[in-house]
Amino acid sequence: MSRCIHPVVLVLLLVAAATGIGCAGVAPYDRGKLAHPSMTTADLTGPSEAHVRAVQEGAMGGGFEAGGGCGCN
Amino acid sequence: MLDRGDALAQLRDDTTDPGGHPRAELHLGPAEKTPEASSVTTHDIDVTASTEVASYADSDHVYVLTPSIAGGLNNPTAGWSVNGRYLVDVVSAASADVVSTASPPFVEVRHAGTLDAAYKPHDFGAAATAAVSVEPDYTSVMGGATITKDLFAKNLTLLLGYSHLHDIAGRSGTPFSVFSRVLDRDAIKAGMTVVVNRSTVLSVVADVMIEYGDPSKPYRYVPLFAPGVVVPVGASIAEVNQLRVSERALEQLPLSRDRYALSMRWAHRFQQSTLRLDERAYIDTWGLKSTTTDARWLFDLGRRVELGPHARFYGQTPVDFWQRAYVLSPGFDYPALRTGNRELGPLVNLTGGASLRTGLGKSADPRAWMLGVDVTFTSTQYLDDIYLTQRFSAVGSLSLEAAL
Repeated sequence: MSRCIHPVVLVLLLVAAATGIGCAGVAPYDRGKLAHPSMTTADLTGPSEAHVRAVQEGAMGGGFEAGGGCGCN
Repeated sequence: MLDRGDALAQLRDDTTDPGGHPRAELHLGPAEKTPEASSVTTHDIDVTASTEVASYADSDHVYVLTPSIAGGLNNPTAGWSVNGRYLVDVVSAASADVVSTASPPFVEVRHAGTLDAAYKPHDFGAAATAAVSVEPDYTSVMGGATITKDLFAKNLTLLLGYSHLHDIAGRSGTPFSVFSRVLDRDAIKAGMTVVVNRSTVLSVVADVMIEYGDPSKPYRYVPLFAPGVVVPVGASIAEVNQLRVSERALEQLPLSRDRYALSMRWAHRFQQSTLRLDERAYIDTWGLKSTTTDARWLFDLGRRVELGPHARFYGQTPVDFWQRAYVLSPGFDYPALRTGNRELGPLVNLTGGASLRTGLGKSADPRAWMLGVDVTFTSTQYLDDIYLTQRFSAVGSLSLEAAL
């Protein structure tokens, strides 16, 4: 039975190790900069532009959006 | 200077964000709340509303106008929120694909709506989302849910999500009961957001999407050529018509597709600006591989104005069955898999643009009313295609957001 680590899990573990999770956390009172609206980890792309990308690029996926309406034939 | 004993720091995660990533916000206030104050904040509901008009135009004669409205209710203290959006796409197309099949230009309208709800009172949160998109020959519905869990004093947030999409494609003017094709998608995402330091957040998300059904376009015909005929890159409609055989085949794509993507988002806050860098690697079982690099730098120009230049690179390899010129074998055997969708061929996109957001609210809260303008230009290079080798497109939008 294979005991290999899945590549995705491996990447997540490497990121966790590289960023030192659990070792040097930032205290809640020290997160003023992180509270700025531009620091959201959400995508800042508007719905129209996101839809255009989903139509124009072959690598869509991962977005929670209903599709259609490509203007193509 | 504040310390842990003087301040109440409340970190709120908003899982209704479009990307499904948690959003960190800091609320500072008195450490000891009076019962009255607590009662007031518990019932404090933020109401937001926004409207946007976006337009798209490209050098292939496709134009789209997209007005939309959105609204939301949010109780940050109780940890719940509800958001909705409705938009209309008005598409006008006379592209090379349309002209090459001797079809007349068309105008089509798409209606789309989304509804999100989230509840995250403490470290554990759950969110649900639903979306529907309807146009004359295509209907798409989606439902999904996401859960998040904060760990290590909210320095690490884990995310797990699932969604299902159900699409029905038909022919305009023909009921789905007479002709339709069904395409289903199951999507799973897992990821985490890490507070790297006082100024930096890193988010990593892995996506898996399993598709099953027939995604072939029922209108899309693929020109066929006799063996040995050389069709140059970017051959015009007239050249293709001269070189091709009289037989034409409808597009036929594989009936299943598994997609895998790994995305990383890094955001760093400087004194007066925020730099956001995204990288996404993608691969699927059709053989398409792609990479996306996105950079956005948002500058605070005073308390009311934010300027954000934006650059993006996207490149992809073709699917395994991609051919610029499909050959009609002797005996009239069509190629089993065939496509005229140039978005499945090799291409490169270069995008540049900028956003400008201006606070129109009172001096105490200038961001209560926000006016936004976004402009994005994209140059697409089709590296192995007929009809088109290059396309220029532009997306512009004007938005108004209000915190009521």
